Amino acid sequence: MMKVILEVKERHKPNLPIEAECITPKNFLDPERAFHVWKGNKELDISDVFHVRKDGNAKSAEQVEIIIRGNSANIKRVGEYMDGGKILIEGDIGMHCGNFMSAGLIEIKGNADSWLGREMNGGKIVCHGNAGDYAGSGYRGEKKGMLGGHIEIMGDAGDFAGETMAGGEIIIHGNAGDMPGVDIRDGRLTIMGDCSRPCGNMSGGECRIFGTAYDMLPTFRNEGLTSVESTPVTRFSGDYISRGLGTIYVANYKYME
Amino acid sequence: MKTLLVKNAYVIDPIQNISGEIMDIAVRDGKIVDDVKNPDDVIDAAGMLTLPGGIDSHTHICGTKVNFGRYMSPEDMRAGRTSRKGDMHATSGYSVPTTYGNSYRYSRMGYTTLLEGAMAPMEARHTHEEFRYTPLQDCLANTLFDGNWFALEAIENGDIKRLAGILAWYLSAAKGFGVKLTNPGGTEAWGFGEDVSCIHKPIPHFGITPREIIVKMIEANEMLNLPHSVHLHCNNLGKPGNYLCTLDTYNAIPDLNDKRQSLYSTHVQFHSYGGSSWNDFCSKAEDIAHSVNEKPQIVIDTGQVMFGKTTTMTADGPMEFNLYRLYHNKWSNHDVEMETGSGIIPVLYRKKNLVNAIMWSIGLELGLLVDDPWQCILATDNPNGAPFVKYPEVIALLMSKEYRDKEFETLHKSTGKRVALPAIERERTWDDIAVMTRAAQARALGLIDYGKGFLTEGAEADIAIYPISVDTTDPAREYERIINGFATTEYTIKRGDIVCRRGTCTLEGNHSTYWVKPHVPAAYDMSTDSEFIDGFNKYYSMRIANYPVGEEYIGRNVCMESEASL
Repeated sequence: MMKVILEVKERHKPNLPIEAECITPKNFLDPERAFHVWKGNKELDISDVFHVRKDGNAKSAEQVEIIIRGNSANIKRVGEYMDGGKILIEGDIGMHCGNFMSAGLIEIKGNADSWLGREMNGGKIVCHGNAGDYAGSGYRGEKKGMLGGHIEIMGDAGDFAGETMAGGEIIIHGNAGDMPGVDIRDGRLTIMGDCSRPCGNMSGGECRIFGTAYDMLPTFRNEGLTSVESTPVTRFSGDYISRGLGTIYVANYKYME
Repeated sequence: MKTLLVKNAYVIDPIQNISGEIMDIAVRDGKIVDDVKNPDDVIDAAGMLTLPGGIDSHTHICGTKVNFGRYMSPEDMRAGRTSRKGDMHATSGYSVPTTYGNSYRYSRMGYTTLLEGAMAPMEARHTHEEFRYTPLQDCLANTLFDGNWFALEAIENGDIKRLAGILAWYLSAAKGFGVKLTNPGGTEAWGFGEDVSCIHKPIPHFGITPREIIVKMIEANEMLNLPHSVHLHCNNLGKPGNYLCTLDTYNAIPDLNDKRQSLYSTHVQFHSYGGSSWNDFCSKAEDIAHSVNEKPQIVIDTGQVMFGKTTTMTADGPMEFNLYRLYHNKWSNHDVEMETGSGIIPVLYRKKNLVNAIMWSIGLELGLLVDDPWQCILATDNPNGAPFVKYPEVIALLMSKEYRDKEFETLHKSTGKRVALPAIERERTWDDIAVMTRAAQARALGLIDYGKGFLTEGAEADIAIYPISVDTTDPAREYERIINGFATTEYTIKRGDIVCRRGTCTLEGNHSTYWVKPHVPAAYDMSTDSEFIDGFNKYYSMRIANYPVGEEYIGRNVCMESEASL
């Protein structure tokens, strides 16, 4: 087992974002490797930003655990292309955490910023706080977002959670913002709390809302009552703007007045 | 007095009937001259194919619809990124790159002159602003007239001289170069919720047929004595069975100019389709090529399709709507008031898709079956058929039967039953390629008089030196060398300056924008015609005084004046 502890140093301007796509378990397997992060257009060594401590040895990425401590709310792209192992973030984390990850686990004790797990296709992300906008979505212009894997957000999520989602599962224990699951084509999106305008232009997949869906879109057809996990819900099919092949189960819904 | 000498070049210059001579080319102040003494710079081009700078006579690189293609496909921006290097700016984009991306990539392939295929006159400022930031090529812009209400009214009234006056006013107001008709009448009908089936049914509101629009526009264009002919995108683009409509159009074209063609028919690949639906879709390139062979008044460009991702953009709004219904992808539709429209969608041409494989074959068939290379221009209608960076591959396919057969093997299995390509033995020669990539363009666009497309005294010093040894390369076998050779020049020279060396662009070019200014008699001068001014101020959301593009929008401009015979 290898344990890598990255403690964020005191930063003069903590709001300046750092791009740290090098932080993935696999990269720490190579003892010779140099780690660079970017601050604006300046390339810095990882030791300029973090106190790095490495204990133990590992043969594969699965045996590596990275722990990030300190004020990491503006460290972006942590775990990009991660394909195994574990990253534990003890505080908040910046945007694009877990981009394109295919295996492994990222656990965030604090809040995650926008684009959590964007276009991921495997592995698991657990966020104990809130997540920003576009959790599990595709990036600008991309037709497919998350393709597989699992995102669990214990707090609230921002707007556009699971936009263009094409596989995998997102569970939001709190509320989601506006337009969750817009353009969703496959996979499952579960929202335990409330949201508004869910799943516009849905062309497949499933969305379950156990709170209230405000401003429910009129392009979904009410298919009657049913139950999901012993909760009484209404089933909607849609979006009939896009062939109507998706399903929403919603406990309560309100149309726009 | 800057001078340059290119020594020992292996020159092919079809306009001057030079085919493979070893020559020295002397340059003084951006022009080719007889001789220079003590040149400032000497290039030894021994063993290297030296051609006049490439000319793309139909590409979409600047303007509002190109820009819309950029921002509706942010994923395309991520597809082709290059970082800043020396004098070169950072670029991004693959099928619709940034202006610098276009300029550098064209320059790398030896292209020095570009014709933007479609510019809505009302949105001309944007095109010219982007031309300024396309620094290594001279730029020209075809101006759209397919749905221009004033022009359609003049045709309806049978007043061709007034039509010519209107064309003249719009061309010089928009600082455009040629008259472009895109699906004439069709985009206008689309504005009324209809479409045209071919060229014989009258369009709504005006009651004139597309055939009348095409023929009258050609007559008016010739009256203005413009360098270029009418540049036509035929009706019914992309519909199975449309080759009949294309043939019908070609049969209607008069021969009005003895110096060049009367009609430049563009991306003919998209207009050579047989069958009655996508199920029995097949190639009719032979019929079209046969028709072109009989009509010296027509020049075509092939509109070659190559496999991969790209973005289609055209003023033909209804056709893009049909494509959208096939792909269910992103779609943009745009109306330019009183003038034209446009549509944009991203597409992916796939080898295993039968329709796409047939489209690919049709372009090559046209490129091989048109007898006279001067009548058949190599273009992909960038980015509609493919991004222009595919040109070297297209050249190799035309030059090598072996390469064609190898590619054909990888296509959808049924392609062979629908196309004639495997039976065509012809392989284009070096001279043919030199014609199809620069000389035919220079003649078709009327640019020879302005020093483009050739390499003897008096020409603009636009020279492309490719690292290909013609004597020791067998194009039929060594097609990889053709692709690599045409992809990156050893030197690209623009107006006497070396702008690109082995793919690295070295400086901001000495580039110009070419535009036409036909002089018409006072009776047909629309800027003083009260009926025109009233109509303009009544129907446009813009005042006539604000409409013309000022010369301050154009960096170094070359005004091509002509005297109209009205």
